[in-house]
Amino acid sequence: MSVDFLHPGEGTAVDTGVPALEMRGIDKRFPGVVALDNVDLTLEPGKIHALMGENGAGKSTLIKIMAGVYGKDAGTIRMRGRELDIKSPRDSLKEGIKVVFQEIALISEFTVAENIFLEGYPTGKGGSIDWRKIRADSAALFNRIGFNVDPAARTGSLPVSQQQMVEIARALAHEARVVVMDEPTSSLTPNEISLLFTVIRRLAALGIAVLYVSHKLDEVFEIADTVTVLRDGRHVSTRPIGEHTNDTLIQDMIGRRIESLFPRKRGTPGSKVALSVQGLSTAKKLKDVSFEANAGEVLGFFGLMGAGRTELAKAIVGFDPITSGTISVDGRGLLPHDTHTGVRLGIGLLTEDRKSEGLMGELPVYQNASLASLGAFARMGFIDKAGERKAVQDYVDRFRIKTPSLFQQIKNLSGGNQQKVLISRWLMRGLKVIVVDEPTRGIDVGAKSEIFALIDRLAGEGLAVVMMTSEMPELLGLADRIAVMCEGRLTAIMSRDDATQEKILNAAIG
Amino acid sequence: MSLASTDTMKAGPSMLARLFARQELALLLCLILVIAFFSFTAENFFSVRNMTNVLGQASLALTAGIGCAIVFISGEVDISIGSLLATIALPLIIIMNDTNSLLLGVGGALLFGLIIGVVNGYLTAYAGINSLIVTLGTMFIMRGGVYLYTGQRAIPDDAALDSFIALSDGRLFNVVPYSAVIAIVLLVVFAYMMQHRPFGRQIYAVGGNPEVARLAGYDVRRVKFICFVISALLATVAGIILAARVGSAQHTAGLNFEFQVVAATVLGGVSLAGGIGSLTGMALGVLILQFLSNGLRGLGLPTEWQLVITGMIIIAAVAFDEAKRRRIVGG
Ligand SMILES: Nc1ncnc2c1ncn2[C@@H]1O[C@H](COP(=O)(O)OP(=O)(O)OP(=O)(O)O)[C@@H](O)[C@H]1O
Ligand SMILES: [Mg+2]
Repeated sequence: MSVDFLHPGEGTAVDTGVPALEMRGIDKRFPGVVALDNVDLTLEPGKIHALMGENGAGKSTLIKIMAGVYGKDAGTIRMRGRELDIKSPRDSLKEGIKVVFQEIALISEFTVAENIFLEGYPTGKGGSIDWRKIRADSAALFNRIGFNVDPAARTGSLPVSQQQMVEIARALAHEARVVVMDEPTSSLTPNEISLLFTVIRRLAALGIAVLYVSHKLDEVFEIADTVTVLRDGRHVSTRPIGEHTNDTLIQDMIGRRIESLFPRKRGTPGSKVALSVQGLSTAKKLKDVSFEANAGEVLGFFGLMGAGRTELAKAIVGFDPITSGTISVDGRGLLPHDTHTGVRLGIGLLTEDRKSEGLMGELPVYQNASLASLGAFARMGFIDKAGERKAVQDYVDRFRIKTPSLFQQIKNLSGGNQQKVLISRWLMRGLKVIVVDEPTRGIDVGAKSEIFALIDRLAGEGLAVVMMTSEMPELLGLADRIAVMCEGRLTAIMSRDDATQEKILNAAIG
Repeated sequence: MSLASTDTMKAGPSMLARLFARQELALLLCLILVIAFFSFTAENFFSVRNMTNVLGQASLALTAGIGCAIVFISGEVDISIGSLLATIALPLIIIMNDTNSLLLGVGGALLFGLIIGVVNGYLTAYAGINSLIVTLGTMFIMRGGVYLYTGQRAIPDDAALDSFIALSDGRLFNVVPYSAVIAIVLLVVFAYMMQHRPFGRQIYAVGGNPEVARLAGYDVRRVKFICFVISALLATVAGIILAARVGSAQHTAGLNFEFQVVAATVLGGVSLAGGIGSLTGMALGVLILQFLSNGLRGLGLPTEWQLVITGMIIIAAVAFDEAKRRRIVGG
């Protein structure tokens, strides 16, 4: 029995006992990496199963095997007792396995509606595409989920969060037996996440087996019935959620305990202004934003989705054009307004959308890391390759970046490890101001605490850190001062001692 | 389905359609400007006779341009079409001379075209060789083969079948050349396919992002393969019309033709990067260039200058397009 979320039929009796999907003894090797080693996973119909583990633990690889993206080296996959031979995504889709991938997988030139029905266009008489039905059904689907996305919009023009919603809706547009979501909430707001959870519960009630991947513990405790933890490609545990506490889950994931998520080692920030922004406006969003960030300070920016944090981040590093206002780094104006000048003055951005704006997927890890600082390795016009690699190796060791070698193409790294490489890129450059946009998106707890420690250290070394975040604990745990934005305006700046969750939220609503 | 019925979505064109509609509108405007300009400056330009003549001349590039655009949209290129024109004329003329049958001749030509398309498609899609290299290779091989076989002499159409000759000078209702009618019909059929048949959309998806297309369950290689076959078959049709026009199989037939077609296709807004553009745009691109060269000739400008001007227009058009697209993506 398979079920269509949009048109749930009558025959939705849940036949429990028979697993919806059963993976046994799955092995997967990549050159230099054992991604999966004898992994088992059993999904029950009508149950929500969480899959957790550190960056690079093998979660996405396991999912890609059931989705037919990768072949497995060993093991079996059974669906309700019947062994499946999945050779390509087509085979997996036919069996009703619908996956929301970690990296957005949409055709950016297509409309949202068309992307939703990419897997199978509804056709009318004679086999021509029924565009009316596509538009109507996708609108109905968004309605039913409660997501606010325009089905007629060109997908590539939407922000990441909306694209993520399109991905989710797409998995529900066709009949499904198993729905898999690989970090679906990484760019959603709390409100959207709760809508998603309602949908997931409804899917489970329809008898669909749900596999849910997330690094956010609170989400997993809220939604999951069962949790499977992977570590270094091996199965560690599968337990009902009731048997877990925060500590046991973290213990299973990283094999050790984390003492404090927000270690603060740095002193109080100095009074030297490192970044000064005055009267900044952009054509699209920002209206008259002024603030200063001091050397050694972490200035956190909070705001709801669409408040303009990403726009601000892009404008102050020279990436996006501005209509008025001035930006200066260490007293020197950012003129002309472009990233080349920005980097020269010592301001750099770690983007929120690492896939399309940060990574050079085909290039090896070490070149991705050294991209912004090639000048530093130039010896009479040649790149000092040995020096370059040694410097990168330093960062790989320090951040514990999980890669078989410096020569691995970065697209093959797990999401969290990609992020660490990108942070290295800017640290190698020797910046005065670093702007980080959602720095811990898709990063596991262990790595998160390392990145927090890193940001703490950067500020300790005298950098000004401007941090855009929608994670309240991150904001309160890390920032010296907190700036709040609402609809392109700065609505409040407060010191951390004055800040409360309530004050911040009030300012964010405007 | 209570939810779907309460939906208030307008059944208007998708945003993408609107976007391209605007681009096609710009091209249409260009075309009208070109025609208007020469109507005032060049003698005998604005007449039914001249207009339909230009349409007839454009029909070769229109027909082959469909295939070229489809291959571009799938994310590949096919530059073997010029040589293909010369190649398929051989079986066409030889079989007609032997059998006095247009049907057999055309059948033979299409079979040849099919084989060439299969070779191009197989080497690109399944053997994984870059399509520019593959079709550059088959382009040379075919041209060389034709030179060898003909000894660089034309093979005249001795059968001189009425139905075949009609392809070159026959006109529907005594107005529109048959070659133009064929091109327009093919254009409508394929434009419909590209927008309204699942396979057409698969081509756009494959060219737009092959990895995503694969995840959506498409057989990317098969889609690309078929695009090459379509391209070769359409070029075959163009080759048949050309052979009728020159009344023989010529070893120099279609020399540089692929570049005219590529130029018009790119001018029409079909991106070499894949996934972007439309057949309507391509057709407008062909017509703009054809009217331009006709008009410039009418003004008495030598061919050399026509080439220079065409080159400048193509670069300007693509630069403009690129700037516009960047603005759209950026905002
Ligand atoms: N195509 C590939 N080629 C080579 N190595 C790969 C490839 N895909 C994944 N890997 C490696 O396999 C391991 C598991 O990666 P995977 O993406 O499954 O991790 P993950 O658990 O999803 O991590 P994250 O939480 O960061 O998304 C990693 O070490 C990764 O570098
Ligand atoms: Mg992953």
